[in-house]
Amino acid sequence: MSRGYMGKILNIDLGTGEISEEVMPDEIYETYLSGMGLSAYLLNKRIPAGADPLGPENVLGFVSGLLTGTGSFFTGRWMVVGKSPITSGWGDANCGGNLSPAIKRCGYDGIFFRGISEKPVYLSIKNGTAELRDAGHLWGKDTVETEEMLIKEAGGNTRVACIGPAGENLSRISGVSNDKGRLAARSGLGAVMGSKRLKAVVLSGAKRIKAKNPDIMKKLSRACNKWVQFQPPFVSGPATAKVGALLRILPTQMAQDGMLFKIILKKWGTACMNQMSIEMGDAPIKNWMGSNKDFGPKKSLTTNPDAIIERERIKYHCYSCPLGCGGICSLNGEYPETHKPEYETVLALGGLCMNEDAESIFELNEVLNRAGMDSISAGSTVAFAIECFERGILTKEDTDGLELTWGNTEAIRELIRKMIQREGIGDLLADGSKYAAERIGNGSYEFAMHAGGQDLPMHDGRNDPGFVLHYSVEPTPGRHTIGAQLYYEMFQLWKTVKGLPKPSILYHKNRKYEADEEKAIWAAACSKYVNVINGAGLCLFGAFLGSKRLPLFDWLNAATGWDKTPEEYMEIGGRIQTLRQAFNIKHGVTPKSFVVPDRALGKEPLTEGANKGRTIDIEPMMRNYWRLFGWDEISGKPMEEDVERLKIKG
Amino acid sequence: MSYTITDCCNGCGACMRLCPVDAIAGEKKEKHRIVEELCIDCGACGRICPEGAVIDSDGQVCSMIKRSQWSKPRFDEKLCASCNICIDACPVGCIGLSKAASEKNPYGYPFLRDEKACIGCGFCADECPVGAVAMA
Repeated sequence: MSRGYMGKILNIDLGTGEISEEVMPDEIYETYLSGMGLSAYLLNKRIPAGADPLGPENVLGFVSGLLTGTGSFFTGRWMVVGKSPITSGWGDANCGGNLSPAIKRCGYDGIFFRGISEKPVYLSIKNGTAELRDAGHLWGKDTVETEEMLIKEAGGNTRVACIGPAGENLSRISGVSNDKGRLAARSGLGAVMGSKRLKAVVLSGAKRIKAKNPDIMKKLSRACNKWVQFQPPFVSGPATAKVGALLRILPTQMAQDGMLFKIILKKWGTACMNQMSIEMGDAPIKNWMGSNKDFGPKKSLTTNPDAIIERERIKYHCYSCPLGCGGICSLNGEYPETHKPEYETVLALGGLCMNEDAESIFELNEVLNRAGMDSISAGSTVAFAIECFERGILTKEDTDGLELTWGNTEAIRELIRKMIQREGIGDLLADGSKYAAERIGNGSYEFAMHAGGQDLPMHDGRNDPGFVLHYSVEPTPGRHTIGAQLYYEMFQLWKTVKGLPKPSILYHKNRKYEADEEKAIWAAACSKYVNVINGAGLCLFGAFLGSKRLPLFDWLNAATGWDKTPEEYMEIGGRIQTLRQAFNIKHGVTPKSFVVPDRALGKEPLTEGANKGRTIDIEPMMRNYWRLFGWDEISGKPMEEDVERLKIKG
Repeated sequence: MSYTITDCCNGCGACMRLCPVDAIAGEKKEKHRIVEELCIDCGACGRICPEGAVIDSDGQVCSMIKRSQWSKPRFDEKLCASCNICIDACPVGCIGLSKAASEKNPYGYPFLRDEKACIGCGFCADECPVGAVAMA
């Protein structure tokens, strides 16, 4: 079969130890693609309403993408899926590295676990033989140690996904690691893996992944690569702060072309945004209370892009990526090799906590990766705890003597260690800011910066209201990887998908805050497109090149032999969105409960800085968005007939 | 369709020892067989068989080639995008990634790390989207 996908999944019941292969009909892939779509279809059917996310009925899946391994570029992302212990609704998180092709090379598009094992185990698949093995000797080990031990045991081209102590300790902000500390971090699915006592998935396979039209795949990839390799020299690292300041000062804004972002991404990785984002108002500061005035270029200078890549020893490329935004850095002392900290991590542990110490950010990035804990949520929760301390809601008695003040690097370091170990105050905070606030009380809930329990990422909706809309309306709330006004501009979908509007090239910034119909169309298009992306296993950074330069729809047709139009693929994206929302409704989630806190909406507006005076009227934006999916615009619930129609397939 | 073994097989076990995916079964000095579901069509069994007992997926009898003459991948760094596809494609894991070329060029490139392990399958060249790998 040469259709890009493998056409099979593996089911494992950890309670009984039963392992079985299951053939997936072609119709499933044509209706939902692979990856996210295939998972949305299966998990909707297989997880009963009300199932405990940390109980035996939850299903945890490791899925590859339809385009992974087909000769396409940027398609090395895999996804972990399951019912989220954070939102009690749909959960997913994806990650790069080299795991995605390994799933398919074992012969499967996805590996799905249910049940709970009596003792710690790991799944080993080698040359067609799948078996559960004892993981007693691995329990308690960090993600890097675990991976190294398992690769040594298995040999050859072996890839590992595993949890660290955070997942074992059932932290709701834990993720799943692969390639030595790259984390599928969000939705808290590390805790689901921990609850199943599944320490790792170890994959050694060499099956061929075949596209229907390999020559067309390569031709499309070569054309795409030309854009990726176009790399004029760019300004120095600290000058990015000045670019950010310029973008802040100008009353108007230009629609962004993703080529510019590609150039700085290839040079620095996501560190390119470290200073620019603060200066332009994209980065939340001081638990969303502050601004660029509180954490200006001098304070952020230690994490300027040049300072970050000074430690880079080699660029890191995920599987099938011609860009290479990652980097392997070396730290003095304990960690001679570490992944370059991403923008999200730098800001969550930096500006959000008013921490200027770059050394601590490098170190904590590695510590969190090894623990398997989400660095965004960890930073957000620390910032929340600091605010509680500064306001006297938490005292030194509560913090085990820690002086939790803004920018106190040593206290932040110690607090994160405690969160990983669930020790003292760390136990209170190990599930993210929402759950901590519920236990702390005393009015702390209003400064827990989360959406549906998912701690907010480092992109401020008061600068780009598209972010805050997606944080609030998505089945997986609090995500920066789905949509924004900026993303719509960079995706350039109007160039390939009929009927989508082209945004103005130059516009007054005030227009960003108008909750008009067109913004809703942009947002719905982002959600649909990103669902297609996640069905294909594509990287968002590839998609930022623009839909003409990144031939996602053409690759999908060439890989599968289908003849679908871009509009039909967008329809599939919409179908996946409705399925994910239906999953949430089935499990009792109220979509409106995902709305971000007032502070993130600028109610009360900031009195200084880049986002001074900005308030977002999110209600009409949400209504417009939900209506465009054909859902009830007041409640956000998909219509029953739509859900029934979706269920009939397969 | 996978490779198959004919009655010419004398059970010497050369193919079984070489097969990177453990797809060949059989007792010593008895006719071996290829497990179709596991075979990845790498052709190594056909190249190593001294008896000409292996038939490829097109039905052609494979000829034995002296192992030192098996073609090996050559990498063109000018075309290479360091995307790791060739490294992942290799069923024996014999391709490695070099250290960064220089301070100005911080990219690593694929190289034949373990020449002896290479089975000359050419999957690395076949999967490279930009034609940076050639078998020679």
